[in-house]
Amino acid sequence: MSDRQQENAVAVGSGRVNPARNGRADGGRVPRIALRDIRKNFGSLQALRGVDLDIYPGECLGLVGDNAAGKSTLTKIISGTYIPDDGTMHLDGEPVRFSGPADARRRNIEMVFQDLSLCDHIDVAGNLFLGREVTRGPFLDRKTMLSEARKMLDALEIRIPRLSSKVAQLSGGQRQAIAIARAASFDPKVLIMDEPTSALAVAEVEAVLSLINRVKATGVSVILITHRLQDLFRVCDRIAVMYEGTMVAERSIAETDLEDLVKLIVGEKDER
Amino acid sequence: MTAYTERSQGSPWADFLSEQAQVLSIAFFFLVCVVFFAMTTDTFMTLGNLLNVIRQAAPILIVAVAMTFVIITGGIDLSVGSQVALVNAVAAIALAAGLPWPVVVVAMLCFGALIGLGQGWFVAYQGIPAFIVTLAGLSMLRGIALYLTQGYSIPIKGVPGFFALGRGELFGIPVPALIAIAVAILGYVVITSTRYGRQVVAVGSNMEAARRVGMPARWAIASVYVVAGVASALAGLLIAARLGSGSSNAAVGFELQVIAAVVLGGTSLMGGRGTIVGTILGTLTIAVIGNGLILMHISPFFTQIVTGAIILIAIWLNTRIFTANFRFGFARGNRP
Ligand SMILES: Nc1ncnc2c1ncn2[C@@H]1O[C@H](COP(=O)(O)OP(=O)(O)O)[C@@H](O)[C@H]1O
Ligand SMILES: [Mg+2]
Repeated sequence: MSDRQQENAVAVGSGRVNPARNGRADGGRVPRIALRDIRKNFGSLQALRGVDLDIYPGECLGLVGDNAAGKSTLTKIISGTYIPDDGTMHLDGEPVRFSGPADARRRNIEMVFQDLSLCDHIDVAGNLFLGREVTRGPFLDRKTMLSEARKMLDALEIRIPRLSSKVAQLSGGQRQAIAIARAASFDPKVLIMDEPTSALAVAEVEAVLSLINRVKATGVSVILITHRLQDLFRVCDRIAVMYEGTMVAERSIAETDLEDLVKLIVGEKDER
Repeated sequence: MTAYTERSQGSPWADFLSEQAQVLSIAFFFLVCVVFFAMTTDTFMTLGNLLNVIRQAAPILIVAVAMTFVIITGGIDLSVGSQVALVNAVAAIALAAGLPWPVVVVAMLCFGALIGLGQGWFVAYQGIPAFIVTLAGLSMLRGIALYLTQGYSIPIKGVPGFFALGRGELFGIPVPALIAIAVAILGYVVITSTRYGRQVVAVGSNMEAARRVGMPARWAIASVYVVAGVASALAGLLIAARLGSGSSNAAVGFELQVIAAVVLGGTSLMGGRGTIVGTILGTLTIAVIGNGLILMHISPFFTQIVTGAIILIAIWLNTRIFTANFRFGFARGNRP
C-alpha cells in the first residue's frame, strides 16, 4: 500500500468504457479487484450477462442502474454470497474464487448490507465487536471493548455519546455509521455498501457521505450502490452504469453529469 | 467537516429508567401484591409461609431462567412441564430399582440435556418452528411418562440424601430455594457477561446478523433447548425429592406458569430482549399470588382464573402504560 498516493493520482481520469481486458489497465497498475466476463443466471433469468469491472485501491466506484439491473447480484458475487456461473475474478492481480462470504471476508472484502446487520438489543460497543467479543477468562471484557470501540469511532470521527446505549435507541444515521465503522474496522481492502443513504434524513446523508470519504482516504476501495445520483458526485471517483445485467458505461466523475447518468441508466445509449 | 448530528445527551437516569421500565414495573407490581396479601391475611408475612413460597417457587424459577434464554432467542419451549414429569417418573423408577441417588441425579440431568438436544436439533438445524417441535414434545414426553408408570405414582423410599434436595434446609433456607438462587445467579452472569450469552441475545435480536459475523448461530439456538432440558430435569428431581414420589401427572400446567413468569418479567416473545432479574420478579409474583389467594381461602378453582387475569392485566400494563409513559415522559432530546 506504499504507493497509494501515487495510485490515487493516476486514478483521476482513468474511467472509460471497456478497460483493457488483461486486468492490467492503466499502464501496469494492478486493480484491487478485476472482474472479467462475470455471468450469473437465476434459473432462466440472466441476472448478469458478462460484466467487466476494475476497481483500484483508494477509489470509490459508484454502481448505478435501474431496479433489477444486477447491481446487488454483482456485489454479492464480489462479497462471496453468490458464486458466478462464469467469468474470472482477480484480487490484487491474483486469481480468486470465493467459496462463500466467510472466504471473501478472509480476503478482506467487507460488505455493509442494506439492512445493516445490527442487533438492536445489544449496545454500540457490543455491535462493533459482534462475533469477535473480547473476553477475559470466561467473561466479556467490557472495559476493553468500550475503549476500543471509542477508538474505532474516533478514527472515523463518528460521534456517539454513549457506547453503552442500545443500538435501537440511535438515529438512522448513527446506525449506518456503526455498520460502516464495524466493516471498516476489519481492515478491508474492499468495502461494499448497498444503498447506505436511502433511508436517511438530509443531515444524516451528509454525515455518511463524509464518513465514506474518510474510509476511502484510508486506502480502502469502496463500491457504493445508490439511487441518489447526487451523492455519487460527492464521494465517487468513477461511476459504472448497469443495464439489464450488463455494464453499459463507465465514467470518471469529471466527465459526466446528472443528465448524462440518467440517460445511461434508462437506456438511451449515447454514441460511445 | 460535516459532523455527526447528535441527540442531546439525556440524563443517564432517564436513560436508565427507559431501559429498565419493564423490570421496574414488574418490581412495582410485585410489591403491590406483597403489600396487598400482607394486609389482607395474617399468615402471609410469617417466616414459615415465606419460606414455603420460595420452596414452591424454586422449580418454576429454575426452569424460568432457562426459558428466558429460550425466549430471548425468539423461541419457546412448551414441553418443559412434560420434561419435568418424565424425569420425575424415570427418577422414581430408577431409585426404586435401587440405583444410587447421585448416579440417578447425574443421569437425569444428562437425560434432560439429551431431550433438549433432540428438540433443539429440529428447531435450529431443521428449521421447524419451536412452537411445533415443543408442542409435539409436550405430548410425546408426557405420553412416555404415562406409559412407563401406567399412570401410577411411584413411591421413593429410604434415600435421605435425595430427599434432602427437596426438603432440607441450609442456614434456615430450603435447599431447593438455594439451588434456584444459584441457578438464577448463574443465568444472570451467563446472559449478561459471557460470549455465549451474547450469542444467545444476538441470534434472538438479528439471526442474519449473527450468522454474517460468524457466530455459531444455529448452535446457539439449539443450545438453549439443551439448557431448558437440563433445567427441567433439575426441577423434576427437586419435585420428586420434595414429594417423595415420582408421577407422570407431576407439573401439569407447569409450562404455562413458567412462560407466564418469564413474560411477566418483561422478556419479549419476539426475541432479543429479556432479563433474569425480571424473570425472578415474575416468578415470585406468580408464586405470591398463588400462595396469597390460598391464604385468603379463595377456591383453588378460582385461583387459576385470578392468576390468569392478573397476568394478562400486568402484561397489558407493562406493554401499554409503563413503556409508553417512560418513552414519552422521559424522551431524550431531539436532534437539533
Ligand atoms: N436469489 C435470486 N433468485 C432469483 N432471482 C434473483 C435473485 N437475486 C436477484 N435475482 C434477480 O436478478 C435480477 C437482478 O437483481 P439485483 O441484482 O437485485 O438488481 P438490483 O440490485 O440492480 O436492483 C433481478 O431480476 C432479480 O429479480
Ligand atoms: Mg439491489
